[in-house]
Amino acid sequence: MKKAYKFLPAALFLIFIVGMMVLFFVLPKKEYSSSEKRYLEQAPKFSFQSLLSGKFGEDFEKFLSDQTAGRNFWVGLSSYYNYAIGNNGSTGIYLCKNGYLVNDPEKMDNLSRNISYINGFAEKCPIDTTVLVAPSTGYICDDILPDVHKQYRDDEHFENMKAELASARFIDVREAFKKEYADGNQIYYKTDHHWTAYGAYTAYRELGDVLGYTPHTKEDYTVTSYPGFYGTTYSSSGFWMTKPDTVEVWDNPANDSTVITTITDNGNVTEQKDMFYLNHLEDDDKYPIYLDGNHPYTMIENSAASSNEKLLVVKDSFAHSLVPYLADHYSKIIMVDLRYYTDSVSQLIEQEGIDRVLVVYSIDNLATDTNLGWLE
Amino acid sequence: MVFSSLLFLFMYLPIVLILYYICPRRWRNLLLFIVNLIFYGWGEPIFVTLMIFSTIVDYTCGYFINKYRETNKKKAKGFLIASVCINLGLLGFFKYAGFLTNTLNYLPFLNIPALKIPLPIGISFYTFQTMSYSIDVYRGDAPVQKNIITFGTYVSLFPQLIAGPIVRYKDVAYQLDHRRETLDQFTKGVCLFCVGLGKKVLIANQMGALWDNIRETGEMGWLGSWVGIIAYTFQIYFDFSGYSDMACGLGNMFGFEFLKNFNYPYISKSITEFWRRWHISLGTWFREYVYIPLGGNRMGVPRQILNLLIVWFLTGFWHGADFNFIFWGLYFGLLLVLEKFILKKWLDKAPAAIQHIYALFFIVIGWVLFYFSDLGEMGAFFQSMFSFGGAVITPDAGALTLSYLPMLLVAALASTPLMAKLYKKVENTKAAPVLQALFCCVVLGIATALLVSQSYNPFLYFRF
Repeated sequence: MKKAYKFLPAALFLIFIVGMMVLFFVLPKKEYSSSEKRYLEQAPKFSFQSLLSGKFGEDFEKFLSDQTAGRNFWVGLSSYYNYAIGNNGSTGIYLCKNGYLVNDPEKMDNLSRNISYINGFAEKCPIDTTVLVAPSTGYICDDILPDVHKQYRDDEHFENMKAELASARFIDVREAFKKEYADGNQIYYKTDHHWTAYGAYTAYRELGDVLGYTPHTKEDYTVTSYPGFYGTTYSSSGFWMTKPDTVEVWDNPANDSTVITTITDNGNVTEQKDMFYLNHLEDDDKYPIYLDGNHPYTMIENSAASSNEKLLVVKDSFAHSLVPYLADHYSKIIMVDLRYYTDSVSQLIEQEGIDRVLVVYSIDNLATDTNLGWLE
Repeated sequence: MVFSSLLFLFMYLPIVLILYYICPRRWRNLLLFIVNLIFYGWGEPIFVTLMIFSTIVDYTCGYFINKYRETNKKKAKGFLIASVCINLGLLGFFKYAGFLTNTLNYLPFLNIPALKIPLPIGISFYTFQTMSYSIDVYRGDAPVQKNIITFGTYVSLFPQLIAGPIVRYKDVAYQLDHRRETLDQFTKGVCLFCVGLGKKVLIANQMGALWDNIRETGEMGWLGSWVGIIAYTFQIYFDFSGYSDMACGLGNMFGFEFLKNFNYPYISKSITEFWRRWHISLGTWFREYVYIPLGGNRMGVPRQILNLLIVWFLTGFWHGADFNFIFWGLYFGLLLVLEKFILKKWLDKAPAAIQHIYALFFIVIGWVLFYFSDLGEMGAFFQSMFSFGGAVITPDAGALTLSYLPMLLVAALASTPLMAKLYKKVENTKAAPVLQALFCCVVLGIATALLVSQSYNPFLYFRF
C-alpha cells in the first residue's frame, strides 16, 4: 500500500459518517434542550402499525436529528457560516454591532386587522382605552444594524395605527425611546426581543400623562442586576458566541410589603408577596422573573397604591416588565393574555369595576397575533 | 429517504456500506435489494409493494420476451406491449389521474369526484428504467436477466431510485453480475458524492431560500424579479445535478458506473446544446424509445417537426401533471424546431457572447413556465420582469440580493467547467488527494451544519 494516501478522502469520509453514527448510539440521549426550550424527540416505540403507516420512520428521523451528536455546535456553525458568506440574518436574526441580536422586520400582515379589533373594542367600551405599542428593536437601534438589512417600517405603521385608533388613546413612544437610546441607555436586550427594565421604565414614564399619574424618578428605585441572561433571540439565532445580557429588578422599597400577585392558570391559583419571581434567575432565559412570564390571568394588588383605580391590562409579554412600575399607582391591576384567556373582557371590566384599559403589545406581536379577534 | 438528510448520511449509509463490504460477493445483490426497499419504503412503506410488483411484472415480461423473441415474434411483442402498458398504467394512475379528472371537470356536463392519489416517489424514474429493460430485451440490445433478485436490485437500486439518472438496463447489465468494487472507484465515488452534496445543500438550498424570500417580499421591481428567477435557475440546476452526482458517487461506492447526467448546461450556446447537456439520461431515453421509433428525421421535414413536438410535449408532461409543464415542453420543442430550421445559420455566425445570452435568456424564461403552475401568477411574474418603467428593485429585495450575492457568484462560477479545469492541473500531483480530502471534509461539515439547522429539506424533483 505505497499509495495509501490516495484514499485519504474515502478514509476521512468513512470516519466522519461512521463516527457520527457511533456517537449517536453511544452518547446519552438528552430529554430537554434549554436553548430551544422544548422537549427533544425520544426513541419511537416500534410497532407494526407505526412501521406500515410510515410514522415510525418519520419519528425515527426526528429522533435522530434531535439527538445528533453536537447538535448545538452544528447549529452554531451553520449560523456563523451563513454570516461569513454574507448572509447575515439567514435565521431571521441579525448579528449586529455591540453584541446585539435583532429580529429582522416582521411581515405586518395582520397589523391593521388587529388594530381594527382594538379600535372596535375601544369604541364599545364604556371606559377609557389606552394603547401602547413597543417599536421594534431594529427601528430604535438602527445604528447597530448590519449594512445590508431589510427595512423596519415602524414610522409608516405607527402613523397608520394612530390614524386607525380613533376611539382609543395612542401612546407614541418612538421619540422618547430614540432619545433615551441616543443618550446611551439600553432600551432593548441584546439577546432577547423584549425591552429592558430601563425601556419599560421609559414607557411607564411616557404613560403618566395620559393615565394621570406622576411617574417616580429613577432614584426612587433600588436596582439589582443579575448577569447571565440568554434570551430568545440568542437561542434561536445560533450565534453562540454572543455575550449574555444583564437583567435588572427595579424595586420600589415603598411597596415591598403591600403588593400581592395572584396568578390564575389552568384552575390553579398561586399567590406571592412580590412581583418578581427570582426563581427564574436559575434559567438561561431570565425574563420570566417579571410576573412569572405568560399566564392567562394575573392580578396585582397594592394596598398602598397612590389611587384607588383599577386597571385592566390586555397584553403580550412586554407588559410583564412594565406593570411592576404601574403597580404603585393602582390598587388593583388585572393582566389578561388573549393567547390564553378565553372569557369575555367586557364582562371582566364590569365584574371587577375596572376604571381603565391599557393595551400593551410589541409591534411584532401585534402584527402577527391571531387572538385579538377574541377581544370583546 | 433523501441523500441530503441526517438519517441517510449518519445512519443508513454507514450501515449499508458496512454490511455490503462484509457480505460475501454472491449475496451482495440480495443485500442491495433488501436495503433498497428499506430506503424506498422509509417514508411510505406501502409503496414497497409497488416496487415488488414492478419487479415481478417486468421480470416476467422480460423472461417471455426473450423466450419468444426468436421463435414467436407475436408473442414476444405481446409481452412487450404488456410491460409498456403496465408501466405507463402505473405512471398514468399515480401521476396523471388526478390531473386528468380535474381537466375533464372543466367540461360543463362532467363532475367527477376529485381524486387524491399520493404520488409514489421516483415513479417517473423507475417506470422509465424498467420499460428500457423490456424494450432492449425485445430489440436484442440487452441480455435477459434470469435472476429475479439481480433484476430487483436493478429496478430498485437506491442511488438513482428517486431522482435519476435514468439508467438503462443495457448500461449496467454487465455490472450487475460482474462488478468488482475497487478502492480507487470508491474514493472517486466519495468525492463525487461530496460534490453533489455540496451542490445540493450549500448552493441549491441557498438559492431556493433566496427565490422564496424574494417572492415573499411581494413587489420586487424588475431587477428583483430577474434576480429571483435567476436564483431559481441556479436552484433547479444545482438541486438536480447535485442529486445526480450523489447518485453516481454512491453507485461508485458500490462498484457501479453510471453515465453522466449533466454537462454544464448553462454554458450552452443554443437551446439544442442545452438539451444535450441537461438531464442527458432523460433526453437519451426519449430519443431512443420515442423519437427514433416515431421515425425521427427519416420521414421528411413535416413529420420530423411533428415527431419533435410529440417528444417535447411528452418531455414536458413527464416533468409534472399540469398545463405549465406541457407549455414548458412545447416551448422548448418550438425553440428546437426554430433553431434547427431557421436560427441555426444566424446563430452560428453571431459572436459567442450573443449566443450565450440568447441561450440563457430562453432557458431562464423556460424556468418561469416551469415554476408557476398558476397561470395568473405566471403572467404577473412576467409582467414584473419586463416592467422596465417601474421600480428597479425594492429595498427589501435589494437587501436580499446583496445578502446572497456571494453565493450567486459562487453558483455562477460553479455552473462553468472552470473549477474542474483548475483541478485537472493538480490532478496527478501528490497534492490532489489532500485537496480532495479537504474539500470533502469542508463540504460534509458545512452540509451537516446546515442540515442540522434545517430539519426540513425535501428535494425539488420529488414532484416528478
